[in-house]
Amino acid sequence: MTIMKHFISLMLLLGVFTLAVTSCGRSPLDKAVKSALVKQDTTQAQFDSICSIIKQNPDRYKQYLDDQGQVDVAQLQALIDQVGADLRPPIRWDIARYGQQELSLTIYFERSGSMVPYDNAGDRGQLKKAVNDIINHFPGRKVNINIVNDGIYPYQGSVDQFIKDRNIYASTAGVGNSAFTDFQQIFGAILKAQDATNVSVVVTDLIYSPADAGDVSIDKILNEENSLATSIFRQYKGKSVLVHQLMGDYNGKYYPYTNRPVEFRGMRPFYLLVIADTPVMDRMAAQGEYTELLHPAAVRNSYRFNQSETAVDYCVVPDWKDNAGRFRVDHKDPSRLLKCQGDKNTGVLCMTIAARLDGLQKDEAFLANAQNYKLQSVSGFELKVTPITADMITGNNKAYLDGKTHLLTLTGKMNGPRDQVVISLPNEMPAWIAQSTTRDDTNPAAAGFSTTTLGLREFLDGIASAFGAGGNYTTITLHLEN
Amino acid sequence: MKQQHYIYLALGIAATILFYVLRVQAYEVLYSVPGFSDQFYNAGLYDMIPLITIVVPWAAAAVYYFAINSVRFDRWYHWLLVGGISTVITPIIGYSLNQSMFSDMGLSYGAESAAFELVNMLWAAVMYVIASFAMRWWSTNCRHTPIPQ
Repeated sequence: MTIMKHFISLMLLLGVFTLAVTSCGRSPLDKAVKSALVKQDTTQAQFDSICSIIKQNPDRYKQYLDDQGQVDVAQLQALIDQVGADLRPPIRWDIARYGQQELSLTIYFERSGSMVPYDNAGDRGQLKKAVNDIINHFPGRKVNINIVNDGIYPYQGSVDQFIKDRNIYASTAGVGNSAFTDFQQIFGAILKAQDATNVSVVVTDLIYSPADAGDVSIDKILNEENSLATSIFRQYKGKSVLVHQLMGDYNGKYYPYTNRPVEFRGMRPFYLLVIADTPVMDRMAAQGEYTELLHPAAVRNSYRFNQSETAVDYCVVPDWKDNAGRFRVDHKDPSRLLKCQGDKNTGVLCMTIAARLDGLQKDEAFLANAQNYKLQSVSGFELKVTPITADMITGNNKAYLDGKTHLLTLTGKMNGPRDQVVISLPNEMPAWIAQSTTRDDTNPAAAGFSTTTLGLREFLDGIASAFGAGGNYTTITLHLEN
Repeated sequence: MKQQHYIYLALGIAATILFYVLRVQAYEVLYSVPGFSDQFYNAGLYDMIPLITIVVPWAAAAVYYFAINSVRFDRWYHWLLVGGISTVITPIIGYSLNQSMFSDMGLSYGAESAAFELVNMLWAAVMYVIASFAMRWWSTNCRHTPIPQ
């Protein structure tokens, strides 16, 4: 009997040990968060499911509820960050968007003389289509439309009427004075009126047409335009401006700076200026619902002013076909690579980083071009950039590649026991701005007339000067040790 | 009962707890593969597999010393046979669990999982020895197995 007591005691001891180990683990909330992160199921539905766990146990999870009994997104974000940091590789899930107010959209549709030929009945109507697409794909319900020229005038019809309107310039004829475009009045009023949840889109040819400019030299006009842009935007350093250049059919009178109209038929650039508070712009960039606003389907070129440096999600892919040599990712600090050794035969060390670059609001051609990146390392590593495609993702590498957009492959030979590799993407004014600028728009037969805009560079330089340009879009630093 | 026996029991329990506390390091120092080890960690298998590696050998030792507990089976090779069975069963259970969870996650690391369980056999054997020396003193017929007191 005594011996059976020993046996039973031991079995009970093992049972208690197992129970203690399993029950001392994470709470249901922790488990749900971890499960969502491990399965990469970071969706609104999963967020709602996690919130329901909190709300069903208000006493247990009271630290995640606010005074009104609603889920405190900041507290829950802290938990998610904590759980995510403990995973390999660490995973981040930004839930801030779920607790945020809906954004509103305000369209400012320029109706100056030079804009009318963009929307002829016999042409393709790319300008109107671009505006309609922005309105149709905007996830919020609050949309306002204004007509602008010498001032800002509310559009008298409904949003649906605007979308259906086949001849928007005819139906808005007589609104304001279409003989000139007062940038100071327009941008000053837009920036002043904008609240923290508003996104404004100015649809314009970006040609500065001040009143009484007939005898003024082009240099003086463009200098004035440059100063004007700086003086307006420097008062709103918390704003970001995203400039999209698109092309549209143009058929009719074009008004050069001399104000002596000329006939032109062909393609001409027009612009969508998206203006919002910088956090709103960052929020839209981090979410997938604003693609049409941030990357219109027909966009030719883009540039965002006042874009702060962004920390991108990245991880070193430990097992990838291009990798060469050996290294081990530090579990506590994924930017540290330990035991780095070059390939036994060639001495080459090659490692692959999967990064999510879509939040940087740069087009694919820019992101995929390794020439646009700056690489610093003692060992002289070289960089290759490859877009991640769906066929690259397998079950085993899903944890590393899922949600990421590009593979950054570093290749080189380590010269010493340690090295620091800094990959940065410098924020510089793109070449297309200078290429799309002219200082003389009087001759429609001139080469480049159909692709250039009078004083574009001066205006955009003025904005850049107001916000202060430079810096990097993002920086990734790796610490290598052997 | 000698005080020394309680010290063995206490040491056995302490070593087992220490193994569980340091389980990730204990396994990764012997077997770590890029990709597989991270997924193993994320799936929580470093919590579950070591638990199996503790429970099965301790239960096997308890069965030998207190359930079998017979003079007919008090030779070292009887003890070794039970230990062998425990050392084989442990990785089989671990492999099944590992593959089941990886399969749910859409992962395929069959070879790595098998190699991991070979390493786990070592820890299962160690656990069986620790458990045996912790509890054998209270067995009426097998307390001298595998090494006489």
